[in-house]
Amino acid sequence: MNEGERKAAAITQMLREWSDGKAEALENLLPLVYAELHRQAASFLRKERPGHTLQTTALINEAYLRLIDRRSVNWQNRAHFFAVAAQAMRRILVDYAKAKHRKKRGGNDIKLSLDGVTLVASKEKGIDLVALDEALDKLSERDKQQASVVELRYFSGLSLEETAEVLHVSRATVARDWESARAWLHRELTK
Amino acid sequence: MSLLSPEKWQEAKEIFYAALRRTPAEREQFLNESCRGDDDLRREVQSLLSASESAGSFMQNPAVNEIAEALAAKKERIPLNQSLGHYRILNLLGQGGMGEVYLAEDTRLERKVAFKVLPSAFAQDAGRMRRFVQEAKAASALNHPNILTIYETGEFENTKYIVSEYVEGETLSERLHREPLNLKVALDIAIQITSALQAAHRASIVHRDIKPDNVMIRPDGVVKLLDFGIAKLTEKQSDVDLGSEAATAIKINTTPGVIIGTANYMSPEQALGKTVDARTDIFSFGLVLYEMLAGKRAFEGENAIEVISSILQTEAVPLSRLRPEVAHDIERIVGKALRKDREERYQTAKDLLIDLKDAREELQFQKKRERSHAPPRDQVETQIINAATTDAAQSSSRAERIIAQVRNHKLGFIVLSLLVLAGIGLGYWYFSHRISIANQIESIAIMPFINESGNADTEYLSDGMTEALISSLSQLPRLNVKARSSVFRYKGANTDLQQIAKELNVQAILNGRIVQRGGDLSLYVELVDIAMDKVIWSRTYNRQMTNLASLQSEISRDVSNNLRAKLSGPDEQRLVKNYTENSEAYQLYLKGNFEWNKHTREDLQKGIEYYNQALEKDPNFALAYTGLAACYGVLGDEYLPPNEGFPKAKDYAAKALSIDGALAEAHTAMAAVRLYYDWDWAEATEELERAQTLKPNDPSPHLLRSDLLIALGRVDEAHAEVKRARELDPLSRLFNTVDGADSYLGRQYDEAITQLEKTINLDLAFNETYLYLGLAYEQKRMYQRAIETFQKGMSQTERHPQLIASLAHAYAVSGRRDKALKVLDELREISKHSYVSPYLFAVVYTGLNDKDQTFAWLDKAFEDRSLFLIWLKVDPFFDDLRDDPRFQTLLRRVGLPS
Repeated sequence: MNEGERKAAAITQMLREWSDGKAEALENLLPLVYAELHRQAASFLRKERPGHTLQTTALINEAYLRLIDRRSVNWQNRAHFFAVAAQAMRRILVDYAKAKHRKKRGGNDIKLSLDGVTLVASKEKGIDLVALDEALDKLSERDKQQASVVELRYFSGLSLEETAEVLHVSRATVARDWESARAWLHRELTK
Repeated sequence: MSLLSPEKWQEAKEIFYAALRRTPAEREQFLNESCRGDDDLRREVQSLLSASESAGSFMQNPAVNEIAEALAAKKERIPLNQSLGHYRILNLLGQGGMGEVYLAEDTRLERKVAFKVLPSAFAQDAGRMRRFVQEAKAASALNHPNILTIYETGEFENTKYIVSEYVEGETLSERLHREPLNLKVALDIAIQITSALQAAHRASIVHRDIKPDNVMIRPDGVVKLLDFGIAKLTEKQSDVDLGSEAATAIKINTTPGVIIGTANYMSPEQALGKTVDARTDIFSFGLVLYEMLAGKRAFEGENAIEVISSILQTEAVPLSRLRPEVAHDIERIVGKALRKDREERYQTAKDLLIDLKDAREELQFQKKRERSHAPPRDQVETQIINAATTDAAQSSSRAERIIAQVRNHKLGFIVLSLLVLAGIGLGYWYFSHRISIANQIESIAIMPFINESGNADTEYLSDGMTEALISSLSQLPRLNVKARSSVFRYKGANTDLQQIAKELNVQAILNGRIVQRGGDLSLYVELVDIAMDKVIWSRTYNRQMTNLASLQSEISRDVSNNLRAKLSGPDEQRLVKNYTENSEAYQLYLKGNFEWNKHTREDLQKGIEYYNQALEKDPNFALAYTGLAACYGVLGDEYLPPNEGFPKAKDYAAKALSIDGALAEAHTAMAAVRLYYDWDWAEATEELERAQTLKPNDPSPHLLRSDLLIALGRVDEAHAEVKRARELDPLSRLFNTVDGADSYLGRQYDEAITQLEKTINLDLAFNETYLYLGLAYEQKRMYQRAIETFQKGMSQTERHPQLIASLAHAYAVSGRRDKALKVLDELREISKHSYVSPYLFAVVYTGLNDKDQTFAWLDKAFEDRSLFLIWLKVDPFFDDLRDDPRFQTLLRRVGLPS
């Protein structure tokens, strides 16, 4: 067994333990998944392929293929892995946003501009991921599943169906959680 | 609002989600029923519903999009304290759409510099980048105290940077935010900006982006104008007539994410997407001056659309209403700078500067008068420079930057507005213009500019400018530019443009009118699309005669831009190259060309004088050396023994090449020497290749190559070269005749006759046309036709020695020996007072079948290095001598295969 295979076997084992209800397995698992996703995200952005946007789902799939011992995978492993990866992605993205915030406090907005209307076109007003992260923690205290829906949909880019699959619930439940979470979080962030 | 319990929350979610799918009208009742009097629950659901409505697309795009931009931007940032070459990055001064500016230390020269890193998006477009750097450097090179000095431009890891003078102080924009300016400070700043503009405009550099952010004020009160050429970065080179900002505005239609110009300081012509010129800077400056005096912008709006529409339609509130102490003359200056019609505006920064200085003097005078009447209570105000120093010094810690701090704006809204603007405001304009440029123009004829000065003495100028433009545009590889001789046929004739286009087979015609009065030069040019039958671009250039040299390159650039000819880097460099900075030298050079084109011995001598005078003004003016080389080449060909004329031509061509190795004309001149005089085929070929690479549309190298190929007996290849030359210059007398001459030397006499008679019918004949036609008849043994043709040639053109010798030859071979000898006498007579090539005597003697005399004269021709000898291998005249060993020896000595 080489280094990679040993790691894959260990991760698969941790994933099993976590899905069997061993909460502390997540503590060990998360940093590994985080490291892998972070490495891939960074490499993707380095390559700077024009016209491509970072597909979080693809990233997670790739990480999954790399990290998991495929000889012992089953559907459940994959779903669990996505749940873990969603948390990892959330951390990665929020960490980036925090780094960006620090720069902002340094006095310069990354986005712009020389004056009144000289501008770099951007999407509508950006979402403050750091504030969102905090609000999501609050939501999680009251509704863990709903917070997972947000992680999977928003941070990992999964569809309603994929989210339902990972969470083992109906699509309608995901839709309801998602819409109400959006409304709730929007209210929290515009307070 | 207190959080609901987890159980209540589950209930709230369900009611919310169910209500969401009901119409607002049904909701009220549904909520009443579902919440059953639970007010907390009801309030929560109601609140969620309204949050949901205002959420829009909130979180609909995965989170990664939120940080993608930050990640991308992050890559461009340079860590502080990093060393790049001999620069050490100290501090980020500012950041914007046009890049980041760092304070850096030049460790070699131990001085602080501003180190600007350009966004990679721009740096990737090499052409745009070069235009920018060129313009920025050009402005810097003016060495004007009010223009930021650029030290260096460079690149590391694909990132382009510009190192410039570090200006401590604050931007005018910051200053305006801080406090209103008193009148004299405002005028001082205005005068300094205008002075910078005057210098730039004189060098044909338009800033295009004058705004308070681009004006730095040093603590000592000195003003520096920044960012010359920056507008070039957003400019889309290929868009006809689009001003930079408009081009970008339109581009935003398809590619949101690009930077767009400053609406607040746009001129009406910029807002309309028209081409911009110096007067655009004057308008933008007017807006800055207005803002300095009024304390508010002249045109404001909630968004870019509103701003632009008021720039286009409304008049600014009169200054006197906002600030009563503003004198009438200042108000008038601002008003004249802000005229919407640029023809009514100040036409030059110089005029504006004069008025501003007058206004300042008036103000000072007034102050003095007031002071003499009143106690000096406002002495501080009269010493504004000091005040400015103090003020700036106080804020220097905050002001240590070179560009404005980035401020937050309602981006989304502005972008949206601009998209709408691009869609409607400019849309109409865009499409109405787009159609006309749908076909890329690939061929053009530049008509001789009309001299409207009412003075024939300035004809060298109109002809010279035309020729310079033809020559310059001939360098563009994908543009077929009709050569001088084709277009000058139409000089003075009032020929219909459609007719000309048909005859020359071109898609576009450029017309020009030129007026020179004293030191002022006004040139109007218009570009006509023939298929559309309309003017697709026009412009008036008002310049000082002293800017003649740069004007020529400016027009070349403008025309090529408007033809949508895509320029490669070196192409553009050549196009905008000024061969001399000295405008007197340039004028003398144009005068030299004017004489050269007439080609008579006297004119060539005059040409030589002018070129020499040009070189006295600018000893490094390579083109003038090329002119001298051309003059001596023609003299050596026609009026002097070749071994007197050509060595000079060779020296001058070499001199031109030593100054500018990339000068196509110099390589062509050298090729001619190598071919006609050195008889060095390999070297000649090499020079021709070099010339053709440098200037693919110049017909002359094709002609030289044809002469070389036909000498070597490579008839088909020679024809191909002439054909190419004729495509480039369809109405050239020379090329049409050489086409026939090649047929003659290739022994295709019928083809020669057809081509040469056609040339005569087209009214393009000169002496050699009749010469080769007669020679072709002679080879067909149609002696009478041959003799008549030579005689006609002499009566229509001149009694040229070549025609005389050929006539004698025709008499001799047709058995009229006495007539032949009589004509030979005439040739001898001529040779007493001007040079007649010994070759021509050899021609007569071979007709008279006197082999010894023939060889004697051929030997003499060899001594003189007569250029006719290069065709010895194919020349039908000497067919009877080919078996003679003396002929074989001669062939070998000339370097021709036997």
